[in-house]
Amino acid sequence: MKRYRLMAAFAALILVIAACTDAGSDGSTTTAAAGGEGDGGADGATLAAVQDRGSLNCGVNNAVPGFGFVDEDGNFSGFDIDYCRAVATAVLGDPEAVEFVELTAQQRFTALASGEIDVLIRNTTATATRDGSEGATFATTTFYDGQGMMVRTGEFDSIDAMADTTICVLTGTTTELNLATRFADIPYTPLTFEDNEQLQEAFIAGQCDGWTSDKSQLAAIRSAWPDAEGGPEALEILEETFSKEPLGPVTRDGDSQWSQIVDWVVIVTMEAEELGVDSTNVDSFADTEDSAIRRLLGLEITDADGNTAIFDPGLGLEPGWAADVIREVGNYAEIYDRNVGPGSPLGLERLLNALWIDGGLHYPRPYR
Amino acid sequence: MTAGLDERLSAPGQPVPPAKRTVQWSRENLFGSWSDTLLTLVFGALIIWVTVSLARFVLDADFTIVRRNLTTFMVGRFPRDELWRPWLATGLIGVMIGVVIGSATATARDKAIEAGLPYRESTMRDALRRFWPLLALIGVALAFTRTFLPFVLTIVVFAVSALARSAGLHFPAGVRRRIWVIALALLLGAYLALSAFGGRGWDEWGGLHLNLFLTVAGILLAFPIGILFALGRRSSLPALRWVSVTYIEFVRGVPLITLLLFGAFALGFVLPADLRPGVITRMLVAITLFEAAYVAEVVRGGLQSVHPGQVEAGQALGLSPWRVTRRIVLPQALRNTIPAMVGQFISLWKDTTLVAVLGILDLLEASRVVNTQPDFLGQGLFAITLGFAGLVFWVVSYTMSREARRLERKLGVGER
Amino acid sequence: MATTSPQAERPPLWRDLRVLKVLAQVVAVGAAAVLVYVVWFNLTNNLAARGLSLGFDFLDEPFGVPVAGSDFSPGSAIWRALIVGLQNTFALVVVGLPLVTVVGVLVGIGRLSTNWLVAKASGFYVEALRNTPPLLVIFFAFNAVILQLPQIAEPIDLFGLVIINNRFIAVASLSNVEGSGVFWAVAAVALFLAVIVWVWRSRRFDRIGSPHHRVVWSLGVLVGIVLAAYLALGGPVEISHPELEGRVLTGGISGLAAYFAMLAALVLYTASHVAEIVRGSILAVPKGQTEAANALALSGFQRLRHVVLPQAMRIAIPPVISQYLNYTKNTSLGIAVGYTEFTLIAFQAIGNGQPAPQLILLVMLGYLAFSLVISALVNMLNRRLQFVTR
Repeated sequence: MKRYRLMAAFAALILVIAACTDAGSDGSTTTAAAGGEGDGGADGATLAAVQDRGSLNCGVNNAVPGFGFVDEDGNFSGFDIDYCRAVATAVLGDPEAVEFVELTAQQRFTALASGEIDVLIRNTTATATRDGSEGATFATTTFYDGQGMMVRTGEFDSIDAMADTTICVLTGTTTELNLATRFADIPYTPLTFEDNEQLQEAFIAGQCDGWTSDKSQLAAIRSAWPDAEGGPEALEILEETFSKEPLGPVTRDGDSQWSQIVDWVVIVTMEAEELGVDSTNVDSFADTEDSAIRRLLGLEITDADGNTAIFDPGLGLEPGWAADVIREVGNYAEIYDRNVGPGSPLGLERLLNALWIDGGLHYPRPYR
Repeated sequence: MTAGLDERLSAPGQPVPPAKRTVQWSRENLFGSWSDTLLTLVFGALIIWVTVSLARFVLDADFTIVRRNLTTFMVGRFPRDELWRPWLATGLIGVMIGVVIGSATATARDKAIEAGLPYRESTMRDALRRFWPLLALIGVALAFTRTFLPFVLTIVVFAVSALARSAGLHFPAGVRRRIWVIALALLLGAYLALSAFGGRGWDEWGGLHLNLFLTVAGILLAFPIGILFALGRRSSLPALRWVSVTYIEFVRGVPLITLLLFGAFALGFVLPADLRPGVITRMLVAITLFEAAYVAEVVRGGLQSVHPGQVEAGQALGLSPWRVTRRIVLPQALRNTIPAMVGQFISLWKDTTLVAVLGILDLLEASRVVNTQPDFLGQGLFAITLGFAGLVFWVVSYTMSREARRLERKLGVGER
Repeated sequence: MATTSPQAERPPLWRDLRVLKVLAQVVAVGAAAVLVYVVWFNLTNNLAARGLSLGFDFLDEPFGVPVAGSDFSPGSAIWRALIVGLQNTFALVVVGLPLVTVVGVLVGIGRLSTNWLVAKASGFYVEALRNTPPLLVIFFAFNAVILQLPQIAEPIDLFGLVIINNRFIAVASLSNVEGSGVFWAVAAVALFLAVIVWVWRSRRFDRIGSPHHRVVWSLGVLVGIVLAAYLALGGPVEISHPELEGRVLTGGISGLAAYFAMLAALVLYTASHVAEIVRGSILAVPKGQTEAANALALSGFQRLRHVVLPQAMRIAIPPVISQYLNYTKNTSLGIAVGYTEFTLIAFQAIGNGQPAPQLILLVMLGYLAFSLVISALVNMLNRRLQFVTR
């Protein structure tokens, strides 16, 4: 009898728990599905979420000279950072409305896919695999880079002469993969590091013969090379560029409206440069006759019939958003010069990153 | 050891002139035999070499990078116009520490008086002797500041803590027994000072502040979970026991870094799709899960130290098993775990540096990333910033481990 | 159903201890089951939403990058890379644990030395290392020790037996020539015989009490047989000297700088903890034992070797095991200096887009197995020791 009662109690409990489990799972099916939708990004979901939140979650690097680093006041600064601010200005009207999320190379796509960040601007190379398998959508390239090799002056004159050498490289990057491809037939030892400081110590100590990275990074490091170690003259960057590294902002697959917004934020900075609009003169065009500038800045346009209208491409942004971006952050030339240009510690010439009219690769799509 | 003892036994009494004493001392302790002399010479050379290298490094180094980034080392990217928040929080924690120490001192005094034992109030000199490394560290940090304000504020924090201590001394016994409520309230107040009304939640904290937070919050959150697992492991119910044992042994068998990797890369996968905690929250979850297993083992050690007769006495009084655990076993067990818990605290304090591997701006990561600032880029200053971070970690951990040993001695004596 | 049972005496259901016991267990197991179920459910959903698979098929995909210090080719599968990582972890553990023991015991004894300078220096070492985060110790070992070694162009060469530079350290090794199989078989037999002789001499000593000289006897047997076999087989093995030509190393066995940085850092860090344990254990041996040894006029070394250490060892073994396990777990910090151990390989794979949950689970299980095996082995040893001395 006692036993029966115990067993009955036991059975009832199991039933209750089973019922709870079922209910729980039903509940989470629906939430997960709904969440998945919102996450994968129905069109417009990201924009709405960002505006709701009042701030942009921007995934960045905290240790790339010139592109993304933490300054003495604890603020993020750099070329990529300025593009985070540009996106925030476009969608929220405030360049300060950004929450920066520091990410390692390994974390970045997980963070993007999981919705932890809205946009990833972390010197990320656009590749087919990342486009296809990592759920990433690449916006217009902001910086054309290429992988190079830095050696001590006079030790090697080409990469093919570097048999049996040790090469220092950062881990978790396309740089590492490109190195393996370029050295497929050349015996070498890769030395991988998590960060540039550690790598530099190893390079100074002569632990590796070559240092491979994007050429912009190598140039930055070379120009700042300590005098105690012979100054910039002690190093040379080999001429060969053995990979293409188009770097630009990345958004999540599935929300094309959001991807387009980010894309156009990049484009208008270049368009502004081409049109001669910058942060100092952006408010002086009220009377300009140039319709391209009027469209870009969201000024009234009078057509042949005398009707006035403000040009709205239908991206889902307030008219005049591009003017805000240029006023608050600047055009492409300003962003470039401020962070990585010849006047900055990195001292990089424009070269590939000049506008097409100056012989470079930046060819902004028309804003009309 | 014995040589010294023999000496004392054979030659009692006579006062020896200091110079001779030095000679005699060094003969006994440094040049007792040929092998001793050899050891002395080798180790002497080693010590001189280490000292000289260290001194040369410190004297040659240019600490500009530390001076200019001191705020980043302390609080990471906390907005610079809101620095009053961390200071206020520090003040509140100072009050908490003061109140707790004050009331603990009062309790110890009352107990001693009740038992008729002599009681010696600990003096300023005792405190100096115990905490000089920490005070020296604060001095070093203040030497790197560029304005006078931190000096003033540091003195204010110390003054407030001292006031709180004397207040704690006069709390009535009833309040003192519930002192942990006040402590927790003050801790919560410190958190609110940082986060409420336009402040920053912990997902945006950084620097030393973050390491301290992860340590304290990790231990506090792990504590109740750990107690549950410890009780579960000692339970007579097989299902409870097996769940607890599996959990504890699994977590203790894997390195913390794998759990942090889990937090960084995989936790998002096992949560519902609409729940997206920030990365520091996920680190905190990983650390709590990790610590809970270790705390459980510490508590289990404490439970084992409680004599079985205590439980039987409780049962004989007709108390329920829950009451026996709650009122008799746990209070005694937890008291015995204090030194081990401090040890656990130290090891977690050291382990919080691992979040740097995942790019989180704690003190170690800050010491790394400041080297990418344009003014310091490529200057090879990593050794200096790393040295500063290392000093901070070392001093805190050294001071705590000395305190742990002191507690161990004190509690050990009390038991006998 | 009988209704005659004394129901009135029984407490109500919610206060019946046996019901409560069952209830508690069901709740505990149920909660665990629900947790596992929810985790599983979310995992499958989230993975599917990102187009990742739940299985372990990805292990067959190419790893993509080479692994330093091994002949692993970038085209090989991920599981092969993980095995290389496991080997590298193993290389740290196998070499490191004996070193930890030796350094720890020496420093632990050193702290109790009558020589003031030795005691202070040991104390300084213990306090400096014990309170520093291991990650920082690794950084320090890499930057301040390994990188300061001479560059590869002017290495330290010790009689052609050891080559030291800041890229690798190479040591001479034995390499097999013809007929070496027979030689190694004979050597194994010789070792076995030496052990038997050791046991025989020890037993004889216990029985009769005459000096055993077991070291001399065993070594004599071992060296004699091995030497005879070596001569008879006409030099079946020879020493392979490390040689450096430009940057290419031939012969000997070598380890990368990152390996030695990890080894030095982890050994020194863990040994500082072991030293404290050893010191505590020696102090825990009752004073009377030392005094008795003094009364027997044993020398300082004899006292330590025959009276104090054997007793201290029994006290020290459990905490030292847990330090061994900590050492093993700390080898997972190779990422700090780019030492391609198990965790770093998994980390690299995750960075190249492989599914994180499965890889992390694999890594966890790997360490778990490692820990369980080590603790089982040492527990066995521990039990034997306890038994013998009782």
